[in-house]
Amino acid sequence: MQLLNITLVAGPPGAGKTTWIRQQINSAAESSVYLSLGSGNTPIDATYLAAEIPGLIVLAGEQLTDFLAHPIAGCAVYLELGFHIDLASLILPDKMADCRRVAVLPPGTRQTEWHGWADLVVTGAEIGAGLSQPHLWRSALPGQVLDSASLNTVWYELTQGAYGTVQRAKGIFDVADGRSLYFDFVAGLAEPTYLELDLPRWLNGRPDRFSGIEVVGEAFDQETLAQTLKDCCLEEQAIAYYQQQIRDSLEPGDEAV
Amino acid sequence: MKLAVMSCIHGNYEALNAVLSDIDDQNADKIYCLGDLVGYGPHPNAVVEMIRALNIPTCQGCWDEDIVEGLNSCECSYPSVLAERRGKLAHDWTNQVIHPEVREFLAQLPLSLRDDNLCFVHGSPHNQHEYLMPEVDAFVAMERVLATGADVLFCGHTHVPYVRSLDAGHLQIQVKLTGKSEPQDTSFSAPLKRIVNAGSVGEPRHGRPNATYVIYDNDTDQITLREVEYDYQKTCAAILENGLPPIFAWRLARGMEFAERADDPTHVCER
Repeated sequence: MQLLNITLVAGPPGAGKTTWIRQQINSAAESSVYLSLGSGNTPIDATYLAAEIPGLIVLAGEQLTDFLAHPIAGCAVYLELGFHIDLASLILPDKMADCRRVAVLPPGTRQTEWHGWADLVVTGAEIGAGLSQPHLWRSALPGQVLDSASLNTVWYELTQGAYGTVQRAKGIFDVADGRSLYFDFVAGLAEPTYLELDLPRWLNGRPDRFSGIEVVGEAFDQETLAQTLKDCCLEEQAIAYYQQQIRDSLEPGDEAV
Repeated sequence: MKLAVMSCIHGNYEALNAVLSDIDDQNADKIYCLGDLVGYGPHPNAVVEMIRALNIPTCQGCWDEDIVEGLNSCECSYPSVLAERRGKLAHDWTNQVIHPEVREFLAQLPLSLRDDNLCFVHGSPHNQHEYLMPEVDAFVAMERVLATGADVLFCGHTHVPYVRSLDAGHLQIQVKLTGKSEPQDTSFSAPLKRIVNAGSVGEPRHGRPNATYVIYDNDTDQITLREVEYDYQKTCAAILENGLPPIFAWRLARGMEFAERADDPTHVCER
């Protein structure tokens, strides 16, 4: 029987699970496979890694069984577990029984369920004070194109607590000039950051690729945030107008969809 | 003689009361108001009634005009789609609650006021909607002051107070007349001019919730920017009680604009 090189990665939100996986994949010689369990219809980490790591094979959750039956020889497999997945009741397929378990935890973390579960504990990033009743909110934004200035406003408000306490927020958004932007925030870190994903500009109508947001917070007004995000979205006519302007300004060889 | 100049009250009655009290403490002889009495804040009628009761000379702001004429903004009014939607929400709310006599009062306000070598406008002498940002091109800034014939131009609209001195102004113009082979050069030097922005009483954008206004002493030519603490939480509570967007209260408490600001300080309003 072929031995699979599988690593399960768990930890609290914002501790740096995806960052650690990216570092492992970038430093490995062999090809890699990534799968996020528990991300539902908002595969933010998977979309981010697929855009940033050329050659990475990204699987959806429902593809896991097929993959285990027909694995790719010689590749390293990383399975990221959402923080909300109960490790004690997690049932893994037999072929994953011998996989390596890594917990990425903030500095100074002691005696948690992750310590009992993991083969290896990696020190990750500070994540600020924990929440007594963390609440996870997600929203996919299929086909939506946001006005950049509005997105910056709502992201600032979100990360500064206008809609409730936020410990972790991340999102991928298509904006009017065709770029796909990855926003990342962890409470306690100096500045929220955003990154332009290495994807072609989408300049042909509503984008047919993933965009969405995930927030971990407390006393969180998700209805108001959802409405505010909706208010940031452009109408059909405005999308066409901006996309035409960008198309007209592209140089020969610029990549666009 | 001490003049107090205030602007952009935006229906914030608590802030107006605190500023009037501070003006009293400063022994100002006269008060001018640069408009935007209404919009965003929860007490537009009470603010106008107070200004009327005290007979404060006031020029019309862009929000005052919008409540009279309806929204017809140039692109410079809103920096984002979200800001525009929020601005329209605030406009619709104000439009619904405003009393007929208050609307009539706003309609008859002048676009500018003069007092000797001083001129008072809301945005710029050309338009209530035009932002004279502190970093606006010096030529544009000088033109705006010269257009009034005054030495000191008081404005508001940006919600951020500042004093800008325009000294050593030198203008050179070249005119080529049809039929004349040589262009004619004309140049002149402008004396010291100043632009004084009074900030905002009711919707500050300087990172603190405190109200701002200015005191001008025309005997000593001294300008003092005043920053006044007030119970902004009362205004925040009234925003929520009156059904205005809660984000307005959140932003007011942090000294952030609710929706508007100039996106491009060099933009000349075309409304």
